[in-house]
Amino acid sequence: MSASWWQNVTHACFGLSYLLAWLLEWPAWLRPAWHRVCHWAAVGFGLAGLIAHTLFLLVHHPTPAAPDGSLLLLAWVLALFYLYGTLHQAGRAWALFLLPVIIGLVGLAMMVGRLEATAWPAQVPAWLSGERFWGALHGTLILLASVGISVSFVASLMYLLQARRLRRKIDPGRVLPLWSLERLETLNRRAIAWAFPLLSAGLLLGLVLWRQERGGWENWLSVKVLSTGGLWLVFGVLVYLRYGTHVPPRRLAWLSIAAFALLLVALMAAHPFAPTGGPV
Amino acid sequence: MNLRAIGCNVASAPVELRERLAFAPPLLTHALAELNARYGTEAVILGTCNRVELYLARPEVEAPLHAPLLAEFLGEVHGLRAEAILPHLYEHADEEAVRHLFRVACGLDSVVLGEAQITGQVKEAYETARQAGSTGSLLNTLFPAALRVAKRVRTETGIGRGHASVSSAAVDFLLTVFDTFTDKVVLVIGAGKMGRLTLQHIRELHPARVLVTNRHLDKAQRRAAECGGQVVPWDQLDEALIQADIVLSTTGAPEPIVSQRRFDEKVRYQRSGRPLVIFDMAVPRDFDPAIHDGESVILFNVDDLTRVANQALAERRRHIPAAEAIIAQEVQQFVLDWNRRKDGPIIGRLTAEVDRLREAVVGPLLQRFNGKLTEADKAYIEGAFRLFQNRLLHGPIAALQEASRSGQGHTLREAIRKLFGLQDS
Repeated sequence: MSASWWQNVTHACFGLSYLLAWLLEWPAWLRPAWHRVCHWAAVGFGLAGLIAHTLFLLVHHPTPAAPDGSLLLLAWVLALFYLYGTLHQAGRAWALFLLPVIIGLVGLAMMVGRLEATAWPAQVPAWLSGERFWGALHGTLILLASVGISVSFVASLMYLLQARRLRRKIDPGRVLPLWSLERLETLNRRAIAWAFPLLSAGLLLGLVLWRQERGGWENWLSVKVLSTGGLWLVFGVLVYLRYGTHVPPRRLAWLSIAAFALLLVALMAAHPFAPTGGPV
Repeated sequence: MNLRAIGCNVASAPVELRERLAFAPPLLTHALAELNARYGTEAVILGTCNRVELYLARPEVEAPLHAPLLAEFLGEVHGLRAEAILPHLYEHADEEAVRHLFRVACGLDSVVLGEAQITGQVKEAYETARQAGSTGSLLNTLFPAALRVAKRVRTETGIGRGHASVSSAAVDFLLTVFDTFTDKVVLVIGAGKMGRLTLQHIRELHPARVLVTNRHLDKAQRRAAECGGQVVPWDQLDEALIQADIVLSTTGAPEPIVSQRRFDEKVRYQRSGRPLVIFDMAVPRDFDPAIHDGESVILFNVDDLTRVANQALAERRRHIPAAEAIIAQEVQQFVLDWNRRKDGPIIGRLTAEVDRLREAVVGPLLQRFNGKLTEADKAYIEGAFRLFQNRLLHGPIAALQEASRSGQGHTLREAIRKLFGLQDS
């Protein structure tokens, strides 16, 4: 075996592992007789995907400032959540909702990686690549906020499905066991409460660094800046609605989904400090 | 195998008789001991609200027990006439008794198809009998096997999926809305009998408080005393609805007591969006169905819950063939394993006896030709005698196994024992 076999691990390796895990989760929930076999096979593929994913990150050191890097890092943290959740809450169809998000993020990272191959040269400004403390802190805060937003998105999807079943008075035990509305709402609330301060601190730090490094506000109309600003505003509204008024949780769930869409745009857009000026 | 399952259930006996045949704990222990002492039988008594069954296993040399004898026994224990009991008893023998127990343990013989409670009751009946010392080798093998089969059927089929009764459907709907109940308030409106079981199930979730209201204060007080609740005057119904998280309504009012307008004006906005689950078990309904929005107010009436229960039952019925197939396979395996276990010792003794006879003949023969035979000749002679022995025994052993499969093993085992002069070990 080659000493550097792990250097050949690609997006496709872990993306397909996650996809197989997701496909195996379906028969696990729809056919009780197959549940145990399919569930553990899915966990096996999910674990294999996570290992390959980790190796890929260790070998390639993707920067969170680059679109594909941030998407891959976010997918990796969510994969940890998936594995933890699926082992500790084996009776809930958590993986069916989280795995598509992970697979989607990996797919987007592949797509953006190809598009960005020429637009993102190797000589990234030092602080953006995380070599300096404040730059790394900025990236970490945004990444952790992204995790919160993603969890809030998944909880919102599950909430909407559960609420739809209740509205139609469908037997909750028939297919896909989900958490209660109360628990999903709590999960959503905690994810928002976790993400908003992190997002605010990360953005504030980014603004300070921007001002210090560039001395001006060039590129402020870039997609990244606008979508991140929009994301912060949506989150501000979410926090206000959640704690300031009594808006039905269903509306909050839709806003969380909108916030996740803005997050994807923000992550996929090039950083305003990208040497090419960033594609739109 | 000399096994009998004799008893009655909801299909064969009226509730009055089943009530009379029920075994209270001291009587149960006494009956097990009596069966053991009087008939020399292993015994397990399974008593639930829907059935009273006796599982009895005797040594194969003994005559099997039968329903008339058991009717006399039950009559004597419960102070009833045997003739009043006998027409309601059914009897399953040997393999059919095994199948019956497996079906009972899986909930296939239950009123609510696939109910899980019966598996626990079978386990409890077995444990009681085991502790009373009334089980032996057959029942100690049979009952654990039945529990294992029940688990397998539940895992591999959908026979236990969904909520096949109104009260369990109600509780499961609650579990899809709330996660914790220790901070929840339950409001009971009315004193109707409908919904009593549902309330009992809800109380098992340990809510923080139970409020009870009724047009008639005395009825509210009685109901509150029954369920450990707190009485709320009827004119404070709106305030109670604002406080409540779960409502169980069972009044006999001829028209809705809470209209949409009343709810929207006096309750909905004061609740600050907190979810409210209402089980309207009254006919005619107590709550205007338009109140239901599926999120802040989730309203179920009897028809909704019955529909869910019926859907679950229909879904469970689809899994009956798969469950029966597993049971058929497990019954066959159980009977086969049991017979092997019964045949094993006699086959062992027979082989040892013929081994002894062969060595008694071959040994002196080889001694006589000592020095005249090569080692290869000796091995050939020994092999020839062994082959003869195997061919000789093949017939009786195959016949014994065949007879055991068809339940006739005992006669042949006795014949072999006598023919070959085998001693009991």
